[in-house]
Amino acid sequence: MTEGAPALFVALEQSGFAASIRQSTWLYPAANIGHIVSLTFFAGAIAVMDVRLLGGLAATAPASLLARTRSVAFAALVGMAMTGAVLFSAEASHLAVNRAFQLKAALVAAGLVNIAIYELWARRAVERLQPGAPMPARAKIAGILSLGIWVAVAACGRSIAYF
Amino acid sequence: MTKSVLFVSAFALMTSAAVAHHGWGSYDASKPITVAGPIVTSKFENPHATITVQASGKVWTVTLAPTSRMNNRGATEKVVAVGQNVSAYGYPSTAQTDEMRAERITVNGKTYEMR
Repeated sequence: MTEGAPALFVALEQSGFAASIRQSTWLYPAANIGHIVSLTFFAGAIAVMDVRLLGGLAATAPASLLARTRSVAFAALVGMAMTGAVLFSAEASHLAVNRAFQLKAALVAAGLVNIAIYELWARRAVERLQPGAPMPARAKIAGILSLGIWVAVAACGRSIAYF
Repeated sequence: MTKSVLFVSAFALMTSAAVAHHGWGSYDASKPITVAGPIVTSKFENPHATITVQASGKVWTVTLAPTSRMNNRGATEKVVAVGQNVSAYGYPSTAQTDEMRAERITVNGKTYEMR
């Protein structure tokens, strides 16, 4: 347990749920593997979506390509959240004060806000476009922000072990 | 004045938080040490097992390996149980006093690699 961590995270780490994660031989490594596998699916789906928003893969209609990749990205995001919750609970008080984790959490929030902004202000316009049509600026901005933010999230995630 | 006090306390809070946690980067491999003595507490848990060892008037926290690797190497929960005499060779933490990461441990004449 880390002294000085917020009480909420100390309580989570000391809960029976967190203890059973730490005491299981396979649960923690399984969650670790699940987290990385979900990440690869998420990164793949997000990369295709972002490239399309930036004007690549222009021969396909944005609506159909984005609809397919969105369901993969959503499922992978749920997978990362579930496995991430297991990994976080086991070491909550350490992670809550870990700089790399704090930055990662802030970046995840930024990534979700970027998605919400895209859904509200750009999605409709994008999904009306025919194959080959130029992308509106707001779609390109959402795409480049998404690429940058999610790559940074992955980098921060791996950096947690070194801070 | 109030501003600078706020700034200093905020900075102190941030640095104390930074010191409170340490990752695998914060061990000094250029100064290996050996900590030998009886095991006082033992946590056979993931992501890595930890024991505390009474040695030369101090209680050292010794960070070991993930439980599956411990078992594979034969360093089971019984081997690192409370009361066992252990000799741990490893690297001292640069972030937390009296904490070390073990490269290998010896219990009852048998050596177990932790990496």
